[in-house]
Amino acid sequence: MLHILLQASSWALFIGRFHPVLVHLPIGFLLIAALLEIGRRTGKVQVSESAISFILFWSAISATIACVAGYLLSLGGGYDDELLSDHMWQGIGVAVFAWIAWIVKSDRFHNIIPFASIIYLPAFALATLLLLSAGHHGGSLTHGEAYLTQYTPEPFRSLAGMSPVKEAVTEIKPLADVNQALVYKDVVQPILEMRCVQCHNESKQKGDLRMDKLALLLKGGEGGPAFVAGKSAESDMIKRCLLPENDDDHMPPKGKPQLATDQITLISWWIDQGAPADKKVAELTISDQVKPALAALGTSSAANATAKNTVSAIQNVKVPAASEKDLSALRKAGLIVNALSQDQNLLEVSAVNTPNFSDKDITLLAPIAEQIAWLKLGDTKITDSALKEMSKFKNLNKLHLEHTIVTDAGIAHLKSLPLLEYINLVNTKVGDSGLREVAAFKGLRSVYVWQSAVTDSVVNEVSRKYPNVMIVNGFNEAAVAAFLKAGDTTTLKAKSKAL
Amino acid sequence: MKNLLNELQHADLHRQTRRHFLQSAGFGLGALGLGSLLGSCGSSSSDISEKTQAAFARIPQFAPKAKRVIYIHMAGAPSQLELFDYKPELEKYHGKDCPAEFLKGKKFAFIQGVPKMLGPQGKFKQYGQSGAWMSDYVPYLQTVADEITFLKAMHTDQFNHAPAQLLLHTGSARLGRPSLGAWAVYGLGSENQNLPGFIVLASGGRQPDAGKSVYGSGFLPSVYQGVQCRTGGDPVLYVTDPNGMNRNMRKQTIEAINEINKQTYEDVQDPEILTRISQYEMAFRMQMSVPEVMDVSKEPQFIMDMYGVKPGEGTFAMNCLLARKLIENDVRFVQLFDWGWDGHGTSAGDNVEGGLRNKCQLSDKPIAALIQDLKMRGLLEETLIVWGAEFGRTPMQENRNGLVMPYMGRDHHLDAYTMWMAGGGTKQGYVHGETDELGYYGVKDRVHVHDLQATILHLMGFDHEKFTYPFQGRNFRLTDTEGKVIKQVIA
Repeated sequence: MLHILLQASSWALFIGRFHPVLVHLPIGFLLIAALLEIGRRTGKVQVSESAISFILFWSAISATIACVAGYLLSLGGGYDDELLSDHMWQGIGVAVFAWIAWIVKSDRFHNIIPFASIIYLPAFALATLLLLSAGHHGGSLTHGEAYLTQYTPEPFRSLAGMSPVKEAVTEIKPLADVNQALVYKDVVQPILEMRCVQCHNESKQKGDLRMDKLALLLKGGEGGPAFVAGKSAESDMIKRCLLPENDDDHMPPKGKPQLATDQITLISWWIDQGAPADKKVAELTISDQVKPALAALGTSSAANATAKNTVSAIQNVKVPAASEKDLSALRKAGLIVNALSQDQNLLEVSAVNTPNFSDKDITLLAPIAEQIAWLKLGDTKITDSALKEMSKFKNLNKLHLEHTIVTDAGIAHLKSLPLLEYINLVNTKVGDSGLREVAAFKGLRSVYVWQSAVTDSVVNEVSRKYPNVMIVNGFNEAAVAAFLKAGDTTTLKAKSKAL
Repeated sequence: MKNLLNELQHADLHRQTRRHFLQSAGFGLGALGLGSLLGSCGSSSSDISEKTQAAFARIPQFAPKAKRVIYIHMAGAPSQLELFDYKPELEKYHGKDCPAEFLKGKKFAFIQGVPKMLGPQGKFKQYGQSGAWMSDYVPYLQTVADEITFLKAMHTDQFNHAPAQLLLHTGSARLGRPSLGAWAVYGLGSENQNLPGFIVLASGGRQPDAGKSVYGSGFLPSVYQGVQCRTGGDPVLYVTDPNGMNRNMRKQTIEAINEINKQTYEDVQDPEILTRISQYEMAFRMQMSVPEVMDVSKEPQFIMDMYGVKPGEGTFAMNCLLARKLIENDVRFVQLFDWGWDGHGTSAGDNVEGGLRNKCQLSDKPIAALIQDLKMRGLLEETLIVWGAEFGRTPMQENRNGLVMPYMGRDHHLDAYTMWMAGGGTKQGYVHGETDELGYYGVKDRVHVHDLQATILHLMGFDHEKFTYPFQGRNFRLTDTEGKVIKQVIA
């Protein structure tokens, strides 16, 4: 058992990773004990010595467990040796002095040990001081040494003798002249700074790799050099970027911001060109593949980046998940109920397999009223009273009512649905006043009224009034005749033959 | 009492052998794969389907813009230079020798030596908001120019029909991968329980060169393969009951067969048996539903006129009309193949002049009508139409065996060709990509067939890199290791 743990096995790391969790127990316990001790001695609180002793006992236990977990975590590597050793000995110190403080205080040992009452306070104080120091070093190990003070504001910054704020690389600035840019310094390094250096730098060297300098990339880490000049396909850093994101070896790790395809292309290209340290873009062979990626680095292209798509409001809706019981009841009734997407709990419901779906069945949907986004009730037996129930489906986004007998009276019930964008009223009894009402709905984008009771003149009138709503009426016999004529080339041909 | 319970549990565990465990676990897992395609035919099967309906549709990574697809494949590959890719400069080079740079290191299916350049044969004009170029070969498509997104710089890796069709439809030029339609149904599930989720309709007198594999299910369970329906006569052969057999008797027969199949499945655990069970049940339901949906006699005359079809025809136009009817009935993926677009210039049919004009005349109106018809029914928003072929054609005139061809024709060309999409969340009226002035290479926004596949999957809600199926130890994707979503064409 023990030998498994002492190697850097997954067991060791599994337990080790609980160190940051466990470590907060002795911190809390010991500080509370110290506070109570001070309070007791100054007469501010009424607390028995046995209570403090009890807390001390648990401080010592939890500190010991935290030490063991911390050691197992350190086996994984990737930490600054000096800092780690300081942290470890301070941590052990906390545990040891906590034990001493408890032992000399406890009823059982108090009388056996000489000078017990003299040892107590210094041991307690030392444990507390070491605790603060070990805590700070632990933080530095996890977050980097500058973490705590990184955002120190002026004037404290200059008072403390710290260097002025260095701007973190959060975006790559466009290059004024791509051809004259240095490939490593201006193209490759900024990408690495933004995506890799956070974990591969002077103070944090995951996998023993530093990526903040070219020479250090070549030197590499545990797995050998980060790249092989001239061979991007054999270069570790490229291979890792191209692995699927949930692969253990993928870099940057899952959940961290990833490199864009263009960025991988650029780094691969630089490696394939022999990974020169100080060549300009124009001095290297520019392949077709890398051209668009290079062009995108320039200032001109930053401006004409693709405009944001018109995003539907439904995409930001968050609702609680519907219960499995409700869903299976709906499916049992023959309805199709599917999730819209993985990151939302919205649902799509279709009655395509239940053509006898009628007004009384609409109550089935009540438990998922909040989740229904797309509802397809075309070709069913529903009437206006079903629409009344639908007014409770607050997140309804697309509604299919085609080939049903709904009328203008039913449409009025849908007025209060803020996210409704699509409504299909093909072959329904909806007429002109219904269309006027629908078109006025906030957020509506398209309405289909072919073969309904809506008249052409009102379609035209409403289309003019609401230019953002697409109102589609469709073809009648006359329109088809016009369509057939529009593409008819036989008359043209006949003419050209005659000539 | 406590001892008694212990004793009971012990006895129960004794009875549970490893075989019991594997059987029950295996059946449960296998049944998950069955899902709503199965539906319920007899009461005996309903317990399986109830459990499995939910598992059937996978949850998309993002809400799908295209819920359904009509994929129109012009097998043989029409000439983009006659239809959409207008190259006035090519006209000037007409009849001149092809520049050496076009031929160096290139392989063609038929061109040998130094061919002559061939100018565009159509008369071009710009149409719609996007100013898309279209020729007089496609006068009806011009009327719906504002619905279409053109991909002008498509390219592929294969210059022979069968491997190029496989690459386009399955993501690999070799056999064995599932087709796009199979992936679509695997991902989003099949909605209408009386119809297959993936239906194939072919016209033009021949099947696609790559055979049934272009709509096959590859390593996916075979419930996902495309079901080909005939367009003339019985849509599916032998689906009607023979004389003397009534529907009830047929039902009992199928129930008996499926009962035996289920027992066999419990013994041997082959998931293909589940497919067989579901196909029996599907065939039973299709006896009613398919003749109904494939019957165009209830369509009003003006709709028939719009497509230009007469009842009983097995033409491409009829397939377009049927595609709309299938989509209206919530079929997930309809694949149309039309043969006869291979314009080499070898015969009166196979060329880029009269032959291509003739093919266009048979297909241009129904395609435009299909777009119009879907739109007025409110279905175009949710239905993606893809039009195109396995590759394009050369700007050079074909000189097979070094001879002058009897008709004007062009050879297979993989470096640049045109495809288009409409509906299903694509931009309305947009041109993506550009070729050089002779139409030989894409010079801007090139789109590889893997990129097209990635984009189609994206429109259906799936991230092509995450949408995988485990087979023989690795997770397979439609786009294999390639493909980029063409974000610019998405509205």
